Amino acid sequence: MNATAAVRGAVGAVLILALWETLARGLALPAYTLPAVSQILAAVAEHRSVLQAAALVTGFEALTGYVIGALAGIGVATLLILARPLRAGALPLLLAINSVPVVAWSPLVLLWFGMGVASKIVMVALAVGFTVFLSALAGFDRVDRRSVDLMRSFGAGRFGIFWRLRLPAALPLIAAGLRVATVRSLIVAIVTEMLGAYGGLGWIIYQSVTLIDFVQVWAAILVASMLSLAFFGLVGALERRLIFWR
Amino acid sequence: MNAAAIAALRLLGGVILAGLVWEAAVVGFGIRPHLLPRLSEILAAFAVTPGAYWAGLQRTAAETLIGFAAGTAVGIMNGVIFFRAPLLRDMLLPVFIVSQTIPVIAFGALVVMWFGNTLFAKAVIAFYLTFFPVTVNTLLGLNSVDPRQVALLRSFGASPRQILFRLQLPMALPQIFVALRLGASLSLVGAIVGEWFGDNTGIGVLLLQAMYNESVVALWAAILCAALLGTGFYALVAWAERRIVFWGAEQ
Amino acid sequence: MNRRHILAASLAVPLATALASPFIRPAGAQTLVRASLRLKWLTQAQFAGFYVALQKGYYREAGIDLTINPGGPNLLTENLVASGADTFGLSGGTDSVFAARERGLPIVCAGVMHQQTPFVFVARADGPIRTLADFRGKTITTWFTGANFVLLGMLAQAGLNRGDFTMQPQQVSVQPFVDRQVDVVTATRYNEFFTLMSRVGRENLRSFVPDEHGITFPRDTVIVSEQTARDRPQLVSGFLRATIRGWRDALADNKLGVDSVMSVAPTLNRPHQEFMLVEAGKLMVAGGAAQNGLFWIDHPVIQAAHDFFLRNEVIKAPLDLAAAYNSSFLEALPVADRMA
Repeated sequence: MNATAAVRGAVGAVLILALWETLARGLALPAYTLPAVSQILAAVAEHRSVLQAAALVTGFEALTGYVIGALAGIGVATLLILARPLRAGALPLLLAINSVPVVAWSPLVLLWFGMGVASKIVMVALAVGFTVFLSALAGFDRVDRRSVDLMRSFGAGRFGIFWRLRLPAALPLIAAGLRVATVRSLIVAIVTEMLGAYGGLGWIIYQSVTLIDFVQVWAAILVASMLSLAFFGLVGALERRLIFWR
Repeated sequence: MNAAAIAALRLLGGVILAGLVWEAAVVGFGIRPHLLPRLSEILAAFAVTPGAYWAGLQRTAAETLIGFAAGTAVGIMNGVIFFRAPLLRDMLLPVFIVSQTIPVIAFGALVVMWFGNTLFAKAVIAFYLTFFPVTVNTLLGLNSVDPRQVALLRSFGASPRQILFRLQLPMALPQIFVALRLGASLSLVGAIVGEWFGDNTGIGVLLLQAMYNESVVALWAAILCAALLGTGFYALVAWAERRIVFWGAEQ
Repeated sequence: MNRRHILAASLAVPLATALASPFIRPAGAQTLVRASLRLKWLTQAQFAGFYVALQKGYYREAGIDLTINPGGPNLLTENLVASGADTFGLSGGTDSVFAARERGLPIVCAGVMHQQTPFVFVARADGPIRTLADFRGKTITTWFTGANFVLLGMLAQAGLNRGDFTMQPQQVSVQPFVDRQVDVVTATRYNEFFTLMSRVGRENLRSFVPDEHGITFPRDTVIVSEQTARDRPQLVSGFLRATIRGWRDALADNKLGVDSVMSVAPTLNRPHQEFMLVEAGKLMVAGGAAQNGLFWIDHPVIQAAHDFFLRNEVIKAPLDLAAAYNSSFLEALPVADRMA
């Protein structure tokens, strides 16, 4: 993004926030319909410590699930590429699991793993795992037949082909999957928390709805959104640092 | 026999085989029904109240389709507008990106308040999840069109409108379809989550009822419905892609 | 078919439906007032009377074209009624009405469904907990939306303070109790208690009932917005009349009540729903309802609950209970019509 675009983006954001503030204040909307931006910011400041603690819980769930999911996704994709017979059996099963929208698993995962952090980590790992797995597999499959045949004719083994040909070809796609998965990991953690949890931003949202504190709901949403952006930015920055393949 | 029939038969065979493996695994390994009930038990649950599952399937499918269609239309429109007006793109795209970091479930209560308990309210959530990837990919696709081809058409006297519909949008279609395949699953997620906010019918409703009654069989029945819908819708989009982008989609 | 036609068709049809759907309304409802009822939870026999009244046409006879909207885990009935999204609400109870009024939500309670505290605290009959004093040092799960304060109040009478036991939020499943991970679990008498009975066995459970320890918390309150209460009192009275008719039928004929619910939510478990209706019925006819009929607002009991919350600083300042609990809609109906 160049400087002009950044300035324009800032202007756009400010305009929309100003419109929101004017609407909420001008129409005197009650907090349960739409609170003003300034009210939300005040609530974030006021409940700083509570929100911070909740963000830590959600962040921990998302990050742990993310790491597990990412490793599992890449690992399973690698395994299926190296062991062809396994692929024929396991891929349909994995695709079947993936055909269920990820949120539909959350009630079951909550019953299995309880209301604590474990169920959230499992859900995040599931969502991240499949995102990364599918992009890694697509990446590994991207090399064309002729290059594989060529390398084979030079006597390269399965591992050699994987290491020198498939992995480099797949890296951009894997990186894209990892980036998309950041935002998804936090959203899935929060969605699962809202169905049942002992803590976290989703739990704050749930509790605030029951306690009729809608400014607090928005404050938690704001913190969640910031957390997502930070995570996305972090992974993006790491990717640019390690961009040795381009 | 033609190729399509053979493919259908193979699919059917695969599904039956998977079902048998499931049943045998649960019985053979003695898996606790609390974790995974036998497939036959789940099918029996369908047989007891087929109407409820069928109604839920239809309702969720309708919400998904409407949200998906609206998300596609708005997404493509946004993409074209952003492509034509870089000022708007720079101002609004960051806001759109931020909007996508908000867990939509947090909005559920608001959407119910604004739109009531209608099918429309769920479609709005499905729309919210769909329009963004379509916007981004439309923009990407339009940007990737070779400027020399545009210049060529222009030299033949083509209007910007003609260039858009004859060259740029068709060239962007493969990219757009990548987003549509993603949107197919996202819109279903939106519809299901939307149904968690007080409704009578839908797969999301069945999921919640089963969860709060701690009925694992009913839960799996709802999950199978969701899988069926997810697969069917994805296949539909993939089929449309093969027909429309016949000159070569990614994948 | 060429590709443009496929594209156009695949976009146009659902889009047209989407645009038209808000305008499609059933015809022939001109003389009736359209209204909606938001329940506090998913459709179940706890709400049987409303479904009976709807299906038997009692609301129509009262001039109301009613839609029943179920609740859910992340919905708050008070909020939907205050914002005008729903006309009537069956909300959490005295506790949630207090909370809503304290935060300035313009809602009024027009009737109370459960005259007694619907939840009990359950321990194992063969376990070490025999009296309230035995809760010391134990782990208890409860709902942090009101039940927690009832528990604190009960235990305070037994001389136990906050730090003397571990209180954890309880959600969705009673499985931790079944698996002996916690010592005491909270259950509504009509719902979770059935699950506990079927998993652990009735004879293995020991219940602690708040009402037996002097704490009564009426729950399941009928609420309307202040505006509806002010401008359309006949509508509220008509709604209550039809609702009581429906409940009377449901309590007299449990099968009818459960059938009405299961016609809307067919996948529910029938024995569970039958149990629920019987138990919810007991809560409805208890206390003040015995003399004054269903949905009676027992002001002294409400006052006591209010003072209890005030003492425990759940609410910060005294509330204007006369404004929050309005019996006039019920009193507009003859007592005979209100009796169960």
